[in-house]
Amino acid sequence: MIAVLALLVGVVLGVYLDPTVPAALQPYLPIAVVAALDAVFGGFRAKMDKIFDDKQFVVSFISNVLVAALIVYLGDQLGAGGQLSTAVVVVLGVRIFGNVAAIRRHLFRA
Amino acid sequence: MTTGSGDKGRDPSARSYAPDFLTELFRNPLDPGYAAAAERRRQVPPSRWRRLLSRPVSLVVLATIGLLFAVAYRETVAEEPSRAKARAGLIAEIKHREAETDRLTAQADQLREEVGRQRDAALSGAQASRLRNMEAGTGLGRVRGDGVVVRLADAPRDKDAVTGADAGPDRVLYSDLQTVANDLWAAGAEAIAINGQRLTATTTIRQAGEAILVDYRPVTSPYEVTAIGPGSMRDRFDESRAADLMRYLARVTGMSYGVKKAGDLTLPAAPQPRLRYAEPSVSPSPSPSGSGAAGSSSPGPSRSGTSSSPSGGGR
Repeated sequence: MIAVLALLVGVVLGVYLDPTVPAALQPYLPIAVVAALDAVFGGFRAKMDKIFDDKQFVVSFISNVLVAALIVYLGDQLGAGGQLSTAVVVVLGVRIFGNVAAIRRHLFRA
Repeated sequence: MTTGSGDKGRDPSARSYAPDFLTELFRNPLDPGYAAAAERRRQVPPSRWRRLLSRPVSLVVLATIGLLFAVAYRETVAEEPSRAKARAGLIAEIKHREAETDRLTAQADQLREEVGRQRDAALSGAQASRLRNMEAGTGLGRVRGDGVVVRLADAPRDKDAVTGADAGPDRVLYSDLQTVANDLWAAGAEAIAINGQRLTATTTIRQAGEAILVDYRPVTSPYEVTAIGPGSMRDRFDESRAADLMRYLARVTGMSYGVKKAGDLTLPAAPQPRLRYAEPSVSPSPSPSGSGAAGSSSPGPSRSGTSSSPSGGGR
């Protein structure tokens, strides 16, 4: 419950403060969003499994975002940015789907 | 022998079938870290300060994630108008360039008329009229006369509401324009223009994506193929294969087709053709180097002369 509230607080802050993203960071924004979604769903599933761990959550989020950004950055330098972005999105997307499926099984027993 | 010993040495039961990367990914999407952390916690309970500190930190991270979502959303929404603006800018530039091209074309036409007038003044009557006839025939001169107008138009677009696809090929295709133009020539037309683009011997009618290009200038529906020719042209065209095909298409697909006689049509001149290869005619012109040997030696110098001229550059 508190977690959801924190998430909402973040959204409200983002809407009200309206921070501008520097142009250099803009290509990484979608990737960061997908990585964050992965961390959130992973954490939620762990909560359902009753093995949630704060440190694990924090570290997984930060490392997800950093690694994803690093891969995209490397891809941009190598001239394969689009393909590597796709790779990141596919891998994280599969994880998100798997985690959501597990959450669904917990919630609806189906 | 080596294979035999290899087979013997390998125990089939010891072979491990490790799941490949993707299968593993699908089967076990959760970070193993959570399970490991839970295991560790069961063995060694975390210290008090860590328990106190970790909760706020993860809440801060969650708030950061929410912030990230909001920012990403706003960025995506904010990007839309800039994209539309770039598109509008490109369209405006295209329009501007087209207007400029039209202006320059008009200027070229004007200058060409001026040249024609000067030439008529310089030439004798018989030569001038012969030249004018040739210009009319090749499409380089403006012509006036009676003829027919063939009108073709796309069917009103009724898109399939579900797929967005056209109901059928109810659009005028470039090949329709080609057959109509060809059969008009066959029916005795002396000059043809499509939407004001005069056809010459080198004019192309082609498709580029959705657009039809006549002599590399886009034309759009409704298409008017205007032809100047003898009075019998209308009937001869009506009997032609193209007219048959167009009547059939109009009946089946719903695109519109009509032929009507028209008097006093004016067809514009086609743009000046780009000279790729030219040789000065030898006989009538008194060339400055004119000598008795001109007949045998003319191909060499004349060809080098044309290739060095600016208009003969390309190929």
